[in-house]
Amino acid sequence: MNDWIFFLLLFLAPVISSIPIVLAYKDDKWTAKLPYLSVFGIFISVLMSLHIFFAMSGQYSYDWIPDLGINFVFMCDYLSRYMGVVTAVIAFFIAIYGLGYMKGDYRPSWYWFCFNLFTASMLLVVYSDNLFLLFVGWEGLGAASWGLIGHWFRDDDNIAYVGKAGRKVGPLEMSWAPSFGGWRAISTIRLGDVPMFLAIAAIWVLSPTLNISEIDWHTLFISLGAAGTIILMLLFLMGLFTKSAQVPFSEWLMTAMTGPTTVSALLHSATMVAAGAFVFLKLTWYIEPWTLHDVPGVEPIYLLVLFVGLISGLYGALCGTGMRERKVLLAASTMSSIGLMFAVGATSYWIDEEIAGMNWALLAAFWYMAIHAFAKASLFLVSGHLIHATHSRFLCGNFEFAKRMKPAFIVTILASIFLVGIPPFGAYWVKSMMDELKLHLWHHNDMILPIVLLIIISLVYAAVIAKFLSLNFIKGDKPEHEYVEGGGLMKLGYCLMVAVLFVLSYAIFKFEETQHFVHAGSESLSIIVGLSILVVFVAAIYKPQIKAFSSNIGMFFNDRMYLPFLNDYIVPKTGFFIAHLVQDYGNRAIDAFFNTKVMPGFFKAISRAIRAIQTGFLTTYVKIAIGFVLLILILASIGGMGL
Amino acid sequence: MSMLVLLLLPLIAAFIAPLLKPKAATYLSSITFLLPFFAIIGCMFYGCPAKIHLMTFSAPIGEFYLQLDMISHAFGLTICIVSAMIALYALPYMTHRFEEMELNVEREFRKYIFIFDLYAASMLWLVYSGNLVLLYVFLELMLITAFLLIYTYGYGNRKWVGLLYLLWCAVAGVLTLGGIVILAFDNSSLAFDVLMASGTVSMIAWAFIFFGMIIELPVLGPHIWLPWAHAEAPTPVSALLSPLTVGLAGYVLLRVALIDYSFIEEYRIPILIYAIISSIYGGFSVFKQTDFKRLLAYSTMSQMGYMLVALCLGPFGLIGLVIQYMSHAFGKSILFSSAGGVIVTHHGLRDITKMGGLHDSIPQISNAAVLGFLNLGGMLTIGMLGEFFILRGVVETFGISMASLPILLAVIFMFILSVWYGFYTIKKVFYGKPKDTKRLEISSYLYLPLYIIGIISVLLLFPPLSTALIDGLNAISGLGLGGVMP
Repeated sequence: MNDWIFFLLLFLAPVISSIPIVLAYKDDKWTAKLPYLSVFGIFISVLMSLHIFFAMSGQYSYDWIPDLGINFVFMCDYLSRYMGVVTAVIAFFIAIYGLGYMKGDYRPSWYWFCFNLFTASMLLVVYSDNLFLLFVGWEGLGAASWGLIGHWFRDDDNIAYVGKAGRKVGPLEMSWAPSFGGWRAISTIRLGDVPMFLAIAAIWVLSPTLNISEIDWHTLFISLGAAGTIILMLLFLMGLFTKSAQVPFSEWLMTAMTGPTTVSALLHSATMVAAGAFVFLKLTWYIEPWTLHDVPGVEPIYLLVLFVGLISGLYGALCGTGMRERKVLLAASTMSSIGLMFAVGATSYWIDEEIAGMNWALLAAFWYMAIHAFAKASLFLVSGHLIHATHSRFLCGNFEFAKRMKPAFIVTILASIFLVGIPPFGAYWVKSMMDELKLHLWHHNDMILPIVLLIIISLVYAAVIAKFLSLNFIKGDKPEHEYVEGGGLMKLGYCLMVAVLFVLSYAIFKFEETQHFVHAGSESLSIIVGLSILVVFVAAIYKPQIKAFSSNIGMFFNDRMYLPFLNDYIVPKTGFFIAHLVQDYGNRAIDAFFNTKVMPGFFKAISRAIRAIQTGFLTTYVKIAIGFVLLILILASIGGMGL
Repeated sequence: MSMLVLLLLPLIAAFIAPLLKPKAATYLSSITFLLPFFAIIGCMFYGCPAKIHLMTFSAPIGEFYLQLDMISHAFGLTICIVSAMIALYALPYMTHRFEEMELNVEREFRKYIFIFDLYAASMLWLVYSGNLVLLYVFLELMLITAFLLIYTYGYGNRKWVGLLYLLWCAVAGVLTLGGIVILAFDNSSLAFDVLMASGTVSMIAWAFIFFGMIIELPVLGPHIWLPWAHAEAPTPVSALLSPLTVGLAGYVLLRVALIDYSFIEEYRIPILIYAIISSIYGGFSVFKQTDFKRLLAYSTMSQMGYMLVALCLGPFGLIGLVIQYMSHAFGKSILFSSAGGVIVTHHGLRDITKMGGLHDSIPQISNAAVLGFLNLGGMLTIGMLGEFFILRGVVETFGISMASLPILLAVIFMFILSVWYGFYTIKKVFYGKPKDTKRLEISSYLYLPLYIIGIISVLLLFPPLSTALIDGLNAISGLGLGGVMP
């Protein structure tokens, strides 16, 4: 079979197609044209992912280091077939948008190479079944995201910063430069990657195979015992939580908004942050935790994921209410959505019900991921266009402005209502399913907190997105600059993106596995929640800023509940204090001891003592000789006394 | 052509190159290292005789031979490609250095290329030596040639630094020699095959070699010679000294460990803790350095800690050690050369506090440095496999439980630190507000060789290279330790 050719093209086409622009980095004429080739590379990936979606299924394996179980193993199951298409299509639309958005940039070769590497890495994460191969893609995401977030390394344009320059809270200046954003991202991610890698290595030791679908999780967990299982899974989850920016590792996601908007859009919709949640779903799919109730250590893990997800969801949504920057507001809302994906995915432990062989909870989480991806990407792309048009990264724009930016306005409205869960649009059905799942937890497992938190999060979330819509197009201040001409490719990008939401909504009604979402949507609780969301949404559009709120609590939320202190103060201060001890005491002391003071001084002293004897005067030598004789006599007499 | 001839080529080149003009001499040196490089790759795939007899001495020295197994190949191919590329890189660099020192370029280059070739060739021969005496001869040759290069062409108070380096390495060498002599009398031969067959290294011999080699490696305490030597050596020498030379101490330890692992098993916990502390200590030291080359020297200390950690972790750790050597060599040679690139293009600039935003003027060098740090951090390069094997070694040795958690976390932190300081350095040196956005025209010798090293480090992660490499290493480590390891 020649199936390998599809995989090869899928992963390598984006990377290889962006090599010419790298080689032509010196020539401005070529770097203006070659991005089209890079986009074409992604287009090939789209075709391949579609081919896989329609024509391939099951596992495909090719040798790498077969003796040790490290192989190119690709799994074309439900999750990866869908997610592959989602990733490739979103990347392709964003790339089209990027042709317009990144025109005239000072580092096009870097941008396109990293962008395509990013896409290819995510596709690798999506399709690979082998954990080592997955980790190769995972590291690719980390490296490429670093390159993209810090793309505008010159730190010379205020438009690329996050936070307000000069505003201080305590000792911290709440402003972050692009080069800093990149470093923040990779350092946070690395904090999770190495533990995850250790967990993979541990699975490599304990299981005869590294293929997720073939690992006998039950035996693995039993052999580890409760403590071992918890340690292993916690190490693994560190990777997922840092990548997906869950509490308390969320700071990097906010400062990642220093990157170009295209990057934010890709980062937030189908790659990177979604990667963490996706890998969690993929693992859970094969761990089948609902069959592992007799295995100690599994329940605490799923409980942890459930609540980390919910708390992150709440934290993100609340912070979003106070945000004043377009992209950072969306970033906070993404964190909230990803939290929900984790929380819903984790519910699968308690839900033992399947449709077409697939767990309800995982299906709901996955469909939410897909809808969120397209909706959030659309919103990001719009905000990128707004940043270009108003030359401001803060929320601004009134109805006059909206009339001049019609496509952007309409796309924002559509994406918002599809995303927040207003009946009967897109996410409503998925969210209804989530409500039902959490209700199940209440009825069968006596956990009331999840359903309460879920509803609160949904309402606050709706308010945040409504605020975005209102302050950008309806009730915001008049922008200082209005530059609304052109941007054809950008408009094309987000219009295509939002169009997919209709396709997805149609699919929910059409597909067999999503029928239950539709049932859930007709439950009374779902309808009540849906209508409340609508009320909050409309209210927030009408009154996007509440005065009492915007002063104190609003600032508290805008400052991300002072979480930056952990990242910008406590951790670096501790680290540099240790570095200070090590360098200014440790190294200086050791250097002084061996190289500059003590040892050389010691040898110098000996040398001086020996040379001091050699005076050339006979009396000195006679004195020394007599001294030795006396010494011998004394020793002899002592020895004699001993006898 | 047999491997023997190919390995002799660099040694012969050392004597011919001084007769040529700088450019021709550079190409000759580079090609004579590239030829064995390709031969080694060929060996990895198609095999070659495992042993080439040279001569036989009476007991207790025994047979001299070249040992061509996968471990030697792994070290050998690293040494060949790095030496070949650094030889090219050195052409503009050393020209610049001689001009700076106000010396006659052509005359000085003759002296320099002779010592440089001898230095690199001695390392290559060291890893193929099948006898500890032969190995020791090349160890000393390597130290002396490196000393001469620092002493003659270094920066700052180069004579003092050169002597400092020589003294430390002499101590290391003498201790090792002591161990070798004891081994010789215990086994009445120093040929590796005889030693492997006997399978015993007395504790006292092990202790001598161990303490000698961890000074060379170096670990916390003796590490203090390293920042001096690496910072003040002329950059092409730093770019061999740090990536290739110090790691060879790890190679010697590995060879002895393959003969008899009992010493490591006996003292595993103290050695491991010392290694981890040493590595983390080095990592933290990096953050406070203001001299770019000194910074990289401390990073070497941190990375050599990885190698010592790997030594303690059984067969998988030993494979990890080999790969760690390779990835560090690739990464650090790129990084030292990048530091050198900054020195050449920015008039001797080494002070990091005066850097920032350099990417605009020298994007080629900046991006090469990224490749270098990716290697150190074990991201997307051969280093990933090294990290994976070391992590597996940790789990194999200690398991996953509450009791092993402190060690697991310490090792994790040790690995995290590399990426932290790596990208922190990139940010400080190359990113941020540029002082000048004009792109400088720089010689392609200063960056193309670095990309070749970088590309090879990426290719080595993927088949077919990694398949051949790992399979070969796996066979050996299983052979040596099969019965011993838990």
